[in-house]
Amino acid sequence: MVTFRFLLRALLILIGPGALFLHLFPLVSFAAPAVAASHPAALKIGVLAPLSGPYAAGGTSFVQAATLAVDQANAEGGVSGQRVTIVVGDTQGRVDVAKAEALRLVSREKVSALVGAYLSEETVGAMEVAAAHRTVLLVPVAATAEITDKVREEHARYRYVFRVGYSLPQWAEMIGAFLSDRKVRRYAFVGAGIRWNRELGETLERIVAPREITPVYTAYYSAGNPAFDTVAVAAAAASPDIVILADPGRNSVSFLKRLRESAPTLPALSIGGALGDARLAASVPLSAPVYVQAAAWRGVSPAATAYVERYEHRYGSPPVGYSDTLPYDAVTVLVAAWRKAGSAAAEAVVPVLERGTFAGVAGMYRFDAAHQAQWGTGAGALRGTFVQWERDGARIVFPPR
Amino acid sequence: MASPFSQVLLDGLFAGGTYALMAAGMALILGVVKVINLSHGAFFTLGAYIAYALAERGVGTPLAAAPLAAVIAFAFGVFLGKSFVNPARGHPFALPVGTLACALLFEQAAQMVWGPHPLSIEAGAPWTGPGGLFIRRWGVIAFLSSAALLGGLKWVLSARPGLPLRLIAEDEEIAGSLGMDVEAIRYLTFGGACAMAAAAGALLSPSGAVTPTMGRAPLLLSLVVVIVAGMDSVAAIFLLSIGLGIFGNACAWLLSPQWSYVAMLAVVVLLLSARPAGIVVLAGRRD
Repeated sequence: MVTFRFLLRALLILIGPGALFLHLFPLVSFAAPAVAASHPAALKIGVLAPLSGPYAAGGTSFVQAATLAVDQANAEGGVSGQRVTIVVGDTQGRVDVAKAEALRLVSREKVSALVGAYLSEETVGAMEVAAAHRTVLLVPVAATAEITDKVREEHARYRYVFRVGYSLPQWAEMIGAFLSDRKVRRYAFVGAGIRWNRELGETLERIVAPREITPVYTAYYSAGNPAFDTVAVAAAAASPDIVILADPGRNSVSFLKRLRESAPTLPALSIGGALGDARLAASVPLSAPVYVQAAAWRGVSPAATAYVERYEHRYGSPPVGYSDTLPYDAVTVLVAAWRKAGSAAAEAVVPVLERGTFAGVAGMYRFDAAHQAQWGTGAGALRGTFVQWERDGARIVFPPR
Repeated sequence: MASPFSQVLLDGLFAGGTYALMAAGMALILGVVKVINLSHGAFFTLGAYIAYALAERGVGTPLAAAPLAAVIAFAFGVFLGKSFVNPARGHPFALPVGTLACALLFEQAAQMVWGPHPLSIEAGAPWTGPGGLFIRRWGVIAFLSSAALLGGLKWVLSARPGLPLRLIAEDEEIAGSLGMDVEAIRYLTFGGACAMAAAAGALLSPSGAVTPTMGRAPLLLSLVVVIVAGMDSVAAIFLLSIGLGIFGNACAWLLSPQWSYVAMLAVVVLLLSARPAGIVVLAGRRD
């Protein structure tokens, strides 16, 4: 006889495998391949992003934006009448998984190009797969110098790799220009103790030194158990003009809350995207300016405004301007290159990417000899945007419009 | 004007309060039900999401959300205790694996319902104390709530209503022979501990970001505190939590923020090497 107790136990027995299954195979992974399978003649883009693990939030925005860009491309007629689809690989924020997923997308899913990954370490792993299989790889957010160094030093092998996002020196240059504009002389640099943060902190110090801007406090906290209280108190005690918060994850809002409690009138600049989320910004006291750096923002250009409105309409909240906007532009640039080349073959697309100019949400993209998109403060460069949160939304404060 | 180090020590006191708040429920489960419950952090997360859901609708504050979170978590806890923990208690490896699976399942469910993006509740401005010290609101709440919870637990365990819990903790066979419904007391205790974790999650939700995996760090710390302090003394759990909070913050200030966690765990290892059964063990009790 089947008793209630038996049913309860059966349910509990199912919970274990069910939980492990869901943990290993996130839900988004099911949806994306199904899109590809329903259009066998479509051109496929392999998207590498962390949909589980500590960077799942950024990875989800990444895939959402790539999906939006593909839909936009298809609404404009696709590529020579062919539809474009994406196939998603969940990198889990791990190098080994990123490499395995890149290999799966290239060899089994037969994607025509890759877009990703998220972390610098993952992207360096995916580069090896792209180079070995001669597949175009567009890098939206990973910032380490190793990516473009490899393209420069071993061009024949890595010529399929192009970085759409900013390099660390470009990033530091944009931040430096903003600090000068705000008349900052002393800054504190704090964030998660991950590779790009440390590299960015060192690069920023070197680049802003000629402007007589100096760091007065630098600290990196452990992502697992961050010592927010102490870092916030120490940063405030160093009396900087501004605190630069380099954290792409959930800890950014926790730290900013502590900073506001320790130093209510100390301005903060968030880089890395997390505080571009209006819902998070709304929970932080605005007793002092909270700035956010983004690749683009609503109101910067008609293209940017249209993109933000489409994103908001589709996903219910506006993009953060970094981990979503740059992947959107990466897919847009790739599709434009396919159209110009009249083909998705890597050997035809690479010369087009090397010589062409491509319109994106953040502006006009062109790549240098190391296949790095031109960001910064020079003539013709993509400049990025700095916004300041206010009670009724964000206001663009730099570059001056 | 107070020195920054005074502020760091005060914040350490509050951080210790957050450890103690989580450890209260964990001590109950380990002491009475005698199982390692790796889903304790998931109930903490559940409480935080309930507080967020209420705050988003403009209903109440985290203080108001705590009772609701406790009631919901108690129901889930009783269900889990009755249907899984009690039947599986005889298999030492089944319970940690099973409760871990429940925690992972909850994290996935939370991600489906609320999304992977961090959410946040307004924390409110801190109070200004003597010498210009900033007194963080959530820190005061954590400290006072943990003191109240652990004090209440100590009273229950030492007074007549706590007699069945004490007896079951000491010897289940004798408790059963005296006519006590041991199974029912165990799953009700399990539910009560889950309710305490959820209330802690609701109370602490404004201090940081609300995410599906936010319960993992408190789970580990509360487990460490209870095992190191030993389950015999509620006061030792409270004092060790506060001590670790202050020690961690002092290390972050004097050494480096990245070394504070390592230093805390090093102290834990040393304490366990010296007293494997916990800092405080009642006289006559066997290891």
